[in-house]
Amino acid sequence: MRLRLITDDGVAASFGLAADETLAQRVGLGASPPTLRLYTYRSHCALVGRFQNVENEIHMDYCRAHGVDVNRRPTGGGAIIMGAEQLGVALTLPGREGTSYCHARELMEHFSGGLLRGLKRLGVAARFRRKNDIEVQGCKLVGLGIFRASSGGLLFHASVLVDLDVPLMLHVIKTPFEKITDKEIESAAARTSTVRREVGREISMDDVRAIVADGYAQAFNAELSAAEFSAAERREAQVLERSKYRSDAWVFRRTEVADASGTAKVKTPAGLLDVRVTLAGRMLKAVYIGGDFFTAENAVAELEERLRWHPRHSERVAATVEDCYRRQPDLGGIPMHALCAALHKAIRRAKNAETRARSDPYACFVNPEAAIA
Amino acid sequence: MTIEFDIPDDRYYDATHHMWTQPQEGTDRVRVGIDALGLQSLGDLAYISLRAVGDAVQRGEAIGTLEAAKMTGDLIAPVSGVLAARNEAALRDPMLVNDDPYGAGWMVAIQPRDWETESGKLVSGDRLPDWVAGEIERYRSQGWVE
Repeated sequence: MRLRLITDDGVAASFGLAADETLAQRVGLGASPPTLRLYTYRSHCALVGRFQNVENEIHMDYCRAHGVDVNRRPTGGGAIIMGAEQLGVALTLPGREGTSYCHARELMEHFSGGLLRGLKRLGVAARFRRKNDIEVQGCKLVGLGIFRASSGGLLFHASVLVDLDVPLMLHVIKTPFEKITDKEIESAAARTSTVRREVGREISMDDVRAIVADGYAQAFNAELSAAEFSAAERREAQVLERSKYRSDAWVFRRTEVADASGTAKVKTPAGLLDVRVTLAGRMLKAVYIGGDFFTAENAVAELEERLRWHPRHSERVAATVEDCYRRQPDLGGIPMHALCAALHKAIRRAKNAETRARSDPYACFVNPEAAIA
Repeated sequence: MTIEFDIPDDRYYDATHHMWTQPQEGTDRVRVGIDALGLQSLGDLAYISLRAVGDAVQRGEAIGTLEAAKMTGDLIAPVSGVLAARNEAALRDPMLVNDDPYGAGWMVAIQPRDWETESGKLVSGDRLPDWVAGEIERYRSQGWVE
């Protein structure tokens, strides 16, 4: 297999996304060759997932004041920040007949293969996690997504955290934290990892890029040939950039599923337990478990991850929590029944907030600070 | 534990994309939804988007997209025609599809262009038991179900 390799840096969010979608469309039509694009965005931009509401996910005032570009990916998942220290991976391949959601899980694992090989070569024991992450010991290192263009072309998107400015991320992306203090920064940092942290040295973006490219060459048994966008590709990408990725209709489109947040603080013999949840309809979109108990942060991060995109129904939440406790003895620092009770309480409060918001059409659905602890 | 799948025999199934289709009595429309095996691949649905009423749709092409606990992907039209209705309740509460995939969790209604021909490409009637058994076996071999 031959794979064209395009590398570019300092890309605007609107062009970066438009170019990826253009390539997927053209590769599906056979107008462009299968392509691996390894690139960085101009620092910084915030990219929400295809179905997210920007105002629920992003601190727009901060972004406007600090020149942080905001855009919407064609792929699903949560909001991310991208810039010079995050490697964007866009692999575009022709889809097979009948490629659909039934195959998406296989495809995600298959397409992650190049990244996993590259990370392994760096000595990073990363693994594919459930829907759309690559993690190291419970901490997110790479976010993943797949988009299928109408031509059948497939776009595999990944954002590799070579490094991460955690305070900036907390200023840009809305989190369950009320304030951004050292404790919150430490807590968020414990839930993610970076290539530099894992390898323990200041590895350059170009070195990471070269290793990821090699990883894909090996995983796909492909011969890589460096190239630029063709004139036709660049022209089409610019048209799509103007018509879609620079339009408010795309960037600020809204989903009909309402968000709501709730918090609960519960005193336990082990310490204070602070639980914050955000619901998207009947799903738990985000869960934060904090407090002054002693337990391994990565065990907590893994439990939070298991509860992401999980039904909010109490019995199903309790079953997942029980399963995590069975697999993760490190969670023993938090009494399980107290945790289930706190989750139940926070979910109930979020549901009540949603009901109140529905009866007041002018209220904001997401306002974690407003939920009474 | 062995999971049982409910595949009602009163409708037509797209063998590749696990979408069901059922003619609506007394109308010129068919309803479309995801079958239980398709939902097993997806997990609980978080978001759905659907194309607009009045859009021309082509069998095999996307009529919408979805994001679920396990993955994000397209919803593929099992028949060609005109999109005649969308289930607005499912758009607001996608887990309706998980709760009741063959009833309240329907996705769209389509006015088919050539039902006679295209329904022949879907699995129904006597062909259903073998197809279902084969698909469950495939899911097991992939490790998707026990």
